[in-house]
Amino acid sequence: MAQAEFYRPANLDEACALLTQYGAKAKVIAGGTDLMVAVNRKRLSPEVLIYIGDCGLNYVKMVGDQLVIGAFTTHTELAKSSLVMEKAPLLAEAVGQIGSRAIRNMGTIGGNLVTASPAADGAAALMALDAELKLVSQNGERVFRVESFFTGPGETVRQAHELIKEIIIPPQAAGSKHGWYKLGQRKADVCGAVSAAIVVEMQNGTCRKARIVLGAVAPTPLLAQAAGSKLQGKALDHTVIAEAAQAAANATAPIDDWRATAWYRQRASGAIVKRLLEQISV
Amino acid sequence: MALKVVGTRQKRYDGLAHVTGETRFVDDVFVPGTLAVKVLRSPIVKGRVKNLDTTAAERLAGVAGVITPADVPVNGYGLIPDQPVLAESIRYKGEPIAAVAAVDEDTALEALDLIHVDIDAQEAVFDPLEAMKPDAPRVRPEGNILMFGERNFRQVVLGDIEAGFKEADHVIEGEYFHPALEHAQLEPQTSLAVPEANGKLTIYTVSQALYFHLGMLAGILHMKPDDLRCVCKWAGRTRSSWRGSIGLSDIKYVGGTVGGGFGGKNDIHADHVTAILALKTGRPVKWRWTREEELLYSTYRGAWIIKIKDGVRNDGRMVARQVESIRDAGAYTSMNSYVVDKHCFLVNGPYHVPNIYIKGYCVYTNKPPSSSMRGFGVTPATFATEVQMDKIAEAVGLSPWEVRFINAVRNGDQTATRRKLDSVYLIETMQTLAKRAGVVLPEKLQAMTSAERGA
Amino acid sequence: MPMLELRVNGRDYRVLVEPTTTLLEVLREKLLIISPKVGCNTGDCGTCSVLLEDKLVRSCITVALVAQGKEVTTVEGLAAPGELHPLQKAFHEHYGSQCGFCTPGMLLAAKALLDENPNPTEDEVKEAIAGNLCRCTGYVKIIESIRAAAAEMATAKA
Repeated sequence: MAQAEFYRPANLDEACALLTQYGAKAKVIAGGTDLMVAVNRKRLSPEVLIYIGDCGLNYVKMVGDQLVIGAFTTHTELAKSSLVMEKAPLLAEAVGQIGSRAIRNMGTIGGNLVTASPAADGAAALMALDAELKLVSQNGERVFRVESFFTGPGETVRQAHELIKEIIIPPQAAGSKHGWYKLGQRKADVCGAVSAAIVVEMQNGTCRKARIVLGAVAPTPLLAQAAGSKLQGKALDHTVIAEAAQAAANATAPIDDWRATAWYRQRASGAIVKRLLEQISV
Repeated sequence: MALKVVGTRQKRYDGLAHVTGETRFVDDVFVPGTLAVKVLRSPIVKGRVKNLDTTAAERLAGVAGVITPADVPVNGYGLIPDQPVLAESIRYKGEPIAAVAAVDEDTALEALDLIHVDIDAQEAVFDPLEAMKPDAPRVRPEGNILMFGERNFRQVVLGDIEAGFKEADHVIEGEYFHPALEHAQLEPQTSLAVPEANGKLTIYTVSQALYFHLGMLAGILHMKPDDLRCVCKWAGRTRSSWRGSIGLSDIKYVGGTVGGGFGGKNDIHADHVTAILALKTGRPVKWRWTREEELLYSTYRGAWIIKIKDGVRNDGRMVARQVESIRDAGAYTSMNSYVVDKHCFLVNGPYHVPNIYIKGYCVYTNKPPSSSMRGFGVTPATFATEVQMDKIAEAVGLSPWEVRFINAVRNGDQTATRRKLDSVYLIETMQTLAKRAGVVLPEKLQAMTSAERGA
Repeated sequence: MPMLELRVNGRDYRVLVEPTTTLLEVLREKLLIISPKVGCNTGDCGTCSVLLEDKLVRSCITVALVAQGKEVTTVEGLAAPGELHPLQKAFHEHYGSQCGFCTPGMLLAAKALLDENPNPTEDEVKEAIAGNLCRCTGYVKIIESIRAAAAEMATAKA
């Protein structure tokens, strides 16, 4: 068995250099809450581990009017951050329900994105918030909208020499309301069978813009654009909500697995969107 | 005589060790030079091993020993010894075929990949109702239904069931399904076998049934139980005299600290494999199951189908109860014969019914063997019969409380298995329960007692 | 093989580890600190819980080298030898432990909670221990134990 190597770069430049050197052989490790499960189950034996805990990627700050979050920020830190609670409460709520305390203390927002699980709670929330993420490498930086980052289950546009540096959340319009719901077999340590993150921009009783994101019902977290459009320019009455919920359910392409059947996931998607929109409309 | 303990709250005898982290479970026992075990499990549901070649695995650096069915002295165990330690006839997916002891788990896993096995796949059957059909694929050569003496079901008869139904004003039927259920105890199946310098074999076990397993293990290792010595701090509590006394000999069985069992450690899961590997390699050997193995392949509560037909008079008295139950045993008997026995003896519930006819089938399917879990077949029975009691209450227009009070067993009543009862306090228990639940019972029920019924 | 330096229960250790060696493996197999258990090895059950710099983590999915230079606390380090932490005492007296397999992890989850919230409500206790499975107690006695310990610690402080 090949001897594995462990690197602990002291800054981002060193990390990028290592990634350029080792490319696909390397696994970046932050909290390790996904990676080590795969290692322990003998599904992964990385040759090179690059730990990014010392690269200065642990921060939540305002840059202009944008909320900027370092990739190494843990779920616990995000859920408790007063800045996140003020500027993007949806994110605080969603990551506050990831795993359980011990998992949130180690798991990071960058890890939640790069793992590219269709059920990633942080990813769904960030998509609803219209967030971007910044990849960094020795070749420079690339910025993606979160929804265009994912290409399939466990797959992203990230290249092997790149690292997620930070997440950028645009200012939420005055009158923005949000909703979050995760449906699982239990509350803690559960991967959602269906989850939904919604941001609705309300102005004078009508919806200016809505972003409805569903988790675990498609190969990637799903931005249900058609569902959002149904709300645009309308007051959120029962008919409009029902139409949007139906459109959201129609947009799903779920699978059967042990967490839920595709049939159930599709119906639950509609029901959850409806319930969240009803809460938002009050 | 004043009682010192009865009526007082006692702390757990092992509680301080638990909260200080000092309790040593099997996996917490470390012996220098201990080898790790991994087991080759069948990828095929049903079939026959045609060819098993372990040469390459044995040659791998770090491998100390490989065992196959040929290494097992007596390759069958269970209440009916029909389950092989390592199988040649595969009867469920995941059934152990060979085992490796190596310097660490990774090496043992690498060795498993080097074992060459050919299995002739055969048709399998999963549904117990399908398995009961005469033309169903055979799970085992003896047939898919366990024989209880000359019958292929356990039978319990009291009174005259037909006469009972004739007396009835209402016939209430119900069919109940209880799904399979995993014990999910937190400590996985673990075993450490240590060959001692004096020639004895010490086994640290998670067993819930130490003496029972000692006898079984002796059977597998082809030693008489009388030749074995068992050392266990708490064994006196579980000791049964089913096979006579236990004397000095070759196995020192160390147990008594169980990280949760719930019936999931009433069957040998790992001690047989570690024992044989330790004897073969002369080295200490530890096998700790993964959680995935635990959930997929350990024993579990098998599914039940329970059909009940009750005859009840207008006044709510039960006069006939007919039950037909089917237990999905999975591929082997393990403790299922006793599970079905106990189910049949107690499925009537704590109710006095003069005419009873109970049939219990134990059916084999191509799934991992199910076995005991919390009540040996009684818990699913209670689920079915208590729902049935509510249906009876609805049919005769009485409250669920009253139906249970009217039919409750009382002193002097006879059970389905003809045991005359004494020291019965069911009515008093229900009265207390109602009080604590804030339910005000009608005076008639409040006045009832468990005293013998008048003639 | 990299060298890991860490502090466990107030003592410094240096051990050689593989990059993918977990903190749980270091504690159990190298340091023979056996209170953290292998229940699932996939971060699901909580029996391996320890405190890393006073934060609750799953040692089974924590890369040992991440603990470089850090302080780890297990149940063995909750109280001075021969003494009991109020949580240990409460778990013993209020029947918060049955088979004992989840107990070390549960105690540390409780410790992490009380460090941050000395007077938790029942719901707060439930949330804090939601990642630690117990198959014996049904949790009621565990919740009672944790709240009893909180009450005792408050009294001791007053």
